[in-house]
Amino acid sequence: MSHSFHDPAIEGVLVSAEGIADIVEDLGRRITADYAGKDLALVTVLRGGVIFLADLCRAIDLPVTLDFMAISAYSHGGGAVRITKDLDDSIAGRDVLVVEDIIDTGLTLNYLLGVLRQREPASLAVCTLFDKDIRRLVDLPIEYRGKRIPDRFVVGYGLDLGGRYRNLPFLASLHDEVMG
Amino acid sequence: MTEPDDDLGQALPLSGRVAGISFAHPSERVAAQILDFYRINWEYEPTSFPLEWDGDGTVVAAFAPDFFLPDFGLYIELTTMSQKLVTKKNRKVRRLKELYPEINIKILYQKDFRRLLFRYGIPVQERAHRDGGGLDAADSDTGMNG
Repeated sequence: MSHSFHDPAIEGVLVSAEGIADIVEDLGRRITADYAGKDLALVTVLRGGVIFLADLCRAIDLPVTLDFMAISAYSHGGGAVRITKDLDDSIAGRDVLVVEDIIDTGLTLNYLLGVLRQREPASLAVCTLFDKDIRRLVDLPIEYRGKRIPDRFVVGYGLDLGGRYRNLPFLASLHDEVMG
Repeated sequence: MTEPDDDLGQALPLSGRVAGISFAHPSERVAAQILDFYRINWEYEPTSFPLEWDGDGTVVAAFAPDFFLPDFGLYIELTTMSQKLVTKKNRKVRRLKELYPEINIKILYQKDFRRLLFRYGIPVQERAHRDGGGLDAADSDTGMNG
């Protein structure tokens, strides 16, 4: 099914649905080869990573498990990041791959990796579909990187603006005007 | 980055540390709050690097990056002035890298900061020229995520 609705906020397609499918297929092949014989747990953060995880897990030819976390959003005025939905299963002794739709500043991922590391997995690695590394504040090792993208505000394939656009099958950039 | 769940963010008072620092620019305060939120250790302007000396060896120009993240060995300089006004700061950072090549520093320009604020749902307002220009964070929360 194609999504052809016209939205004035959308500037253009950065990565097509076909392009994403190719990237996911390639990542799946590499992960399958690297984790053969291991006890692989795929972990993602709600909600943006769900669509990528759904496709990636089907491109991995291994008996993986899936699990989900949610963490609190930045709240202007203070507070601290915290887990609002924890994993359902223990990851102790397991090979854990954190699946991200996009990494930009690295702040959230840094927190997430710190939390997961304390649970003593056998290994902990990161797979991101998109990498906006020009905006990285915190450098973190990324074992599987689908595609570097330019510094645009992007939506689609799980990425949202105010909760919308996640269902676009492609990655689209938005006009700068949406930021006011 | 996968955006966090946006329903359960809990507004708490400013950390005593952020409240107790006199930041040179309101945007630096917002940046400190974001770092605090993500539990990133930071120091505010901990080091002033000499950049120029006169004939007597007296320092005549120095540069103190806004933040240092000790866990990452990274300095961050926040530049919320409009792009055309950042030439002087770019020159300082370039000189810093020449003199201290071991220093790891990243500059956040106005457009970077604008996108960062937008991503975290912080409205942006333009500062008046008489107030130094550039960007500032407005007071309310739009609840948007990137």
